[in-house]
Amino acid sequence: MYFKLFYVVSALSLFSKCLCLGEKDEIQNHCDLLRQWLAPSSVRVELNKKGFHREVTTTVEFRSKELSSVKVLLIHRWPRDVYVDPYQLASLSDQNDWKILLDSAIDLEVPAHKASGFVTYVYPFSTGPTSKLFKVTIPIHGRYHKPSFDGKMLKSVDIEVPELLLRSEKCAQLSSLEPHTVVDAPCTASNSSTCSWVKVKPQQDLNPVSFQLPVGDGSLVAHVCGGTLLVTMICCVALSKYMWKHQVI
Amino acid sequence: MEKLISKLTEKHILFTASFVIRLALVAYGDYQDRTMAVKYTDIDYHVFTDAARFITEGESPYNRSTYRYTPLLAWLLTPNIYLNMVFGKILFIVCDVLSGLLIYKVLCLRGLRAETARCVSSLWLLNPLPMGVSSRGNAESILAALVLGTLLCMERRAQRLTWAALLYGLSVHMKIYPVTYALPIALTLRTAEIRVDEAKKVSRFKKLVGFFVGFFNQDLLLFASVAGGVFFTLTGLFYYMYGWQFLYETYLYHLTRRDIRHNFSPYFYMLYLTAESTWSQWLGLAAFLPQFALLLVTSWMYYKDLAFCCFLHTAIFVTFNKVCTSQYFLWYLCLLPLVIPNLSLTVKQGLGLLLLWFAGQAIWLGPAYFLEFEGYNTFLWIWLAGLLFQVVNCFILIQIVTHYKPTKTPLRLKAE
Repeated sequence: MYFKLFYVVSALSLFSKCLCLGEKDEIQNHCDLLRQWLAPSSVRVELNKKGFHREVTTTVEFRSKELSSVKVLLIHRWPRDVYVDPYQLASLSDQNDWKILLDSAIDLEVPAHKASGFVTYVYPFSTGPTSKLFKVTIPIHGRYHKPSFDGKMLKSVDIEVPELLLRSEKCAQLSSLEPHTVVDAPCTASNSSTCSWVKVKPQQDLNPVSFQLPVGDGSLVAHVCGGTLLVTMICCVALSKYMWKHQVI
Repeated sequence: MEKLISKLTEKHILFTASFVIRLALVAYGDYQDRTMAVKYTDIDYHVFTDAARFITEGESPYNRSTYRYTPLLAWLLTPNIYLNMVFGKILFIVCDVLSGLLIYKVLCLRGLRAETARCVSSLWLLNPLPMGVSSRGNAESILAALVLGTLLCMERRAQRLTWAALLYGLSVHMKIYPVTYALPIALTLRTAEIRVDEAKKVSRFKKLVGFFVGFFNQDLLLFASVAGGVFFTLTGLFYYMYGWQFLYETYLYHLTRRDIRHNFSPYFYMLYLTAESTWSQWLGLAAFLPQFALLLVTSWMYYKDLAFCCFLHTAIFVTFNKVCTSQYFLWYLCLLPLVIPNLSLTVKQGLGLLLLWFAGQAIWLGPAYFLEFEGYNTFLWIWLAGLLFQVVNCFILIQIVTHYKPTKTPLRLKAE
């Protein structure tokens, strides 16, 4: 009888081992697929429009086949020379196939030297079952800068290439994906929890995209002040003179 | 009888037509917002609606960044959230047509025939500028109605002084600029010094005392207490509800506002270049003095014709202000129809001045567009265009002042 029990127990344990191995295999599959996604993919940043109102378009193309459980995250680190309008982003949100999260409140009016840089987390979602291309266009606006005193009429603003991060809900053992870096970031745009993400190494070192913003000419300050006050004084005196002459008694 | 009926019909047609056209624009605006990339509705309307939404959630309207108005406006627009988002626009166009009606009534009280008054009112009622502004969702028409209501009640101040004070207090609460009317109103309501014989020599001191004592009469004290009561009650109530942020966003921000970003003001570039320098405060004061001096001069020279005085006050305030955007123009344009019947300018001259005013704006808008949307450094051109626009505005004001013939008799005009 004990022999029978022994055979049943070993059969059961063998069976459960197989099951566990099967689950482990599945996890390993997901992690392997995630590793495939980490293979060098291209990240392209383009700048559109001119002047103080621009559009930054980030295009990401993956080499691997689509896997529905993989989530993508783009982290843009913006300089203080620009800002995004959260209200504009909210009004555009239903037209976009991505969601955005800002790391801090944005002051829309303050000049650049009084502002600070900020971070945006963009969560694109796939538009179809076979898509491996993500395109995100973020409208940005230039801030006013301090006037220049060295004759330079334009100030350069650099926009860094965003970081590309991935995670899979079904692959929790991100340590198996070394040497890729693991980073903590909000899981979704609703910012209700933090997840571990894997950072994708860029194909090649990409230079930041840059554009230029006009700045005032500080060397003209005396002329501008003098000219402005002179004209306004003349207007003030002329108007007073005519009002005095034609007053209603 | 037939003539009377036809007159009434005409009046009703004018006001009905002006309301229907505005309603059509609101409907079109809704269509454009839903179908095209460029939106019809002004960004300000979204600011008001967002602030109203915060109020419906029991929070402060100032949680909405760039909401710099009285909470009363957000409270008025809460039906935008409870009923339909178009409620606010309907309210604004109703106030717009009401402003037209108030212009008509003031003109009738100033001695114009009903037909002429209707003609002049149509300059506001059928004017595309206020039509566009109200249907896009700007709240300027509420203030226009309040200011015109104050002027109408002041024309009939024997019976309507309390109403004038009430409307005035409310208008100052909503926007600061009507506070400049306080001096001409005070000069109008005070007991004027009795004219004495030229031969009898009255000491200067006695004259001065007489002048100041004249301010302490029943009418002026009633006006000051009612207007002041309304203003301070509302301010106190909203301060209790929303704290310091209410005071800052509604009043202090506008009083200390130094927008270094490009705008019509001739001071914009000067303030931008000196924003961080130690001279900044002194230059701000230097910019304030001509504005203040002109307002004093205008009050003293024109208080006897209150409508004209208020028009000049606001036009001067806007022209010499440190910040000037196109929204400000409506503050004095709503008073222009009250002034027009008294101008001895020909139609050709009037149209010429109007074209000059538009040309001044166009000359500024050119370099401003190239700066903001093309990225060229046109700061110097914008500055020069701003100075030119100020000269154009002053020239127009001088023409208006020189060609103005007041209606009240008997008055002598000090001719050249």
